Amino acid sequence: MAVQRNMDPKKCPMPVQDPMVRRNNFDEVALGYTYEMAVNEAKRCLNCKNKPCRTACPVQIDIPAFIERVANEDMEGAYQIIAQSSSLPAVCGRVCPQEKQCESKCVRGIKGESVGIGRLERFVADWHRENCKDAPEMPVQNGHKVAIIGAGPSGLTAAGDLAKMGYKVTVYEALHLAGGVLVYGIPEFRLPKIIVQKEIDNLKAIGVDIETNMVIGKVLTIDELFEMGNEAVYIGSGAGLPRFMNIPGESLKGVYSANEYLTRINLMKAYKPGSKTPIKHSKKVAVVGGGNVAMDAARSAKRMGAEEEYIVYRRGMEELPARKEEVEHAEEEGIIFKTLTNPVEVLGNEAGEVCGMKCVEMELGEPDASGRRRPIVKEGSEFVLDVDTMIMSIGTSPNPLIRSTTPGLEANAKGCIVTDGDNGLTTREGVYAGGDAVTGAATVILAMGAGKAAAKAIDEYIKNKA
Amino acid sequence: MMYKIVRKKELNPTVTLMDIEAPLIAKKAEPGQFIIFRAKEDSERVPLTIADYDREKGTVTIIFQIVGGATMELNSLNEGDCLHDFAGPLGRPSETEGLKKVAVVGGGVGCAIAYPIAKKLHSLGCEVHSIVGFRNKDLVILEDEFKAVSDKLCMMTDDGSYGTKGLVTNALEELIKDGNQYDEVIAIGPVIMMKFVCLLTKKYDVKTIVSMNPIMIDGTGMCGGCRLTVGGETKFACVDGPDFDGHLVDFDEAMHRGTMYRDFEAHAREESCNLLNKEVK
Repeated sequence: MAVQRNMDPKKCPMPVQDPMVRRNNFDEVALGYTYEMAVNEAKRCLNCKNKPCRTACPVQIDIPAFIERVANEDMEGAYQIIAQSSSLPAVCGRVCPQEKQCESKCVRGIKGESVGIGRLERFVADWHRENCKDAPEMPVQNGHKVAIIGAGPSGLTAAGDLAKMGYKVTVYEALHLAGGVLVYGIPEFRLPKIIVQKEIDNLKAIGVDIETNMVIGKVLTIDELFEMGNEAVYIGSGAGLPRFMNIPGESLKGVYSANEYLTRINLMKAYKPGSKTPIKHSKKVAVVGGGNVAMDAARSAKRMGAEEEYIVYRRGMEELPARKEEVEHAEEEGIIFKTLTNPVEVLGNEAGEVCGMKCVEMELGEPDASGRRRPIVKEGSEFVLDVDTMIMSIGTSPNPLIRSTTPGLEANAKGCIVTDGDNGLTTREGVYAGGDAVTGAATVILAMGAGKAAAKAIDEYIKNKA
Repeated sequence: MMYKIVRKKELNPTVTLMDIEAPLIAKKAEPGQFIIFRAKEDSERVPLTIADYDREKGTVTIIFQIVGGATMELNSLNEGDCLHDFAGPLGRPSETEGLKKVAVVGGGVGCAIAYPIAKKLHSLGCEVHSIVGFRNKDLVILEDEFKAVSDKLCMMTDDGSYGTKGLVTNALEELIKDGNQYDEVIAIGPVIMMKFVCLLTKKYDVKTIVSMNPIMIDGTGMCGGCRLTVGGETKFACVDGPDFDGHLVDFDEAMHRGTMYRDFEAHAREESCNLLNKEVK
């Protein structure tokens, strides 16, 4: 059915909670499109033949096809198209950096704003969750078993794809709750946990077993997973040890890794009144780093009652690696951006608590190996930022537990598991890996893309072996 | 998975022993490793070093001091009840290979961790001198167990109400002065005790291993809360430890970091007491 195109050069704005209100609560910031907004926005899509948006999607969702269904008000049809490619659409619609992926290639973006693909994906996934109560169909079992390590975005994606192909999949999760970074890292106000839980329930409904409290590498080794009848193993164990800067004072009370700070708030629910999880109730907080995790930490600190929060980043605003929307939301909420600034020492009082952060100003020099301009210290620019808490959000190095207990599994100098090309095959036969365990800290959608590619490779491997 | 409490025993008014059904962990556990438990669905995650294990019965023994809200909740459970979560065995096992003569020093509830190491060393044919210290007679735990695996046992109390009056360091120094040459001293207890044992053994140049028990959340190398400075480098107790060379550990920093949530803990303890009182009423 031909649709009347909407030629508005701007995308329909996302309704959001007022910044002055939301900075005091943990409810979701972005409220989602209404039905009418979604249909109208969908009509902005030109349904181009060569689908440049699709090629820029790490899981290759048939974007124009699902958007056309939305324009025609066939929401369940739209959902089914997304579901063919993505196991976690309600999550991706919320946390993907669309402006760097699908939306960056949108033809509408040349002369105006791109189609709000992410917002439409979120709308469709939410519509399905609220309106379609049918349990997903149980796939026909093919009699083969696969084990997956880590119930984060990568592992859950691989699990979903393999289960749909008929594999008996068991996911082993080290924490007491499945979801990985979706439950311990990304805050409630950006990704409500009920949505994650629902996606996990969907996987269970198609036969995926999830075993929590199972630290693979310790309680069971990968060799034992094979002895238990699994024919392939996928490692999606995620990011590991938080990095620190190795500057004086990082052991003072009040210095957190972003992982610890966010885990206390999200997974351990320190944001809820009466929670049993201790956390420092800070007044002035400096978050060091410029990624999504740094934004999450600063905005969480605001909601926990802090009065001033700084993002301290050694490059400029243009170079911030975080999603654009997160940076904008953070600014609206009153987070102060101290860019071109680098900490050199954390200062402590006699009780061993943080009482300030000594910083230097930076300027950008020539581009470095990553193509970004290298920050250089400005002589004599030292100053002290008055803070009582410092949250380090400068990345992680992969978890050592599995590689140290799996003979034949190679890792590179940084500790990332070595894989062969795009299918995730490691140096051990039948063992595949993807996500942060391979790449180091990256995004949810890249981890999902890796899980998806590995599921396909595992299927081929097992079929060829039989 | 159910983590059933198959035995519960009060060792003294503030220290409780539990055998927990956890066959997979029991199969792999080694002295020096720890588990993370949550008593109930909304409880904190708390690390506890494994006190013993029975591979045949599939049980793991934990011994804990009731110090805060989480351990109070655990202590409110009884035989037949289940813990909500129980994950492990985490951390590296204590290294026992090749040791011929060792002094094992335990302080207070730290003796619960020192015991399985003494037991393992004894089973490997190592000469074990155990020095255990408590505040007073009422707080003594595991005396018979230590006796059974030690070639020599020194019982110390702060007030002299049992054994010899004095600190574990007094007994250790005497043993060293008597000419005992130890391959290693293994010290487990309050941080302040481990610090002073290390100051002493440094003087006599005896290698000393300590087991650190810092604040941690996940216990698998994710949160970084358990970091310590060892030999000038940042180490994570959960994956690099919990055992470290005591002569390299920055104990003062560890003591500071250990007090991070002291006020919160005190408050939680009161809350839990009130809750328990309410339940009783």
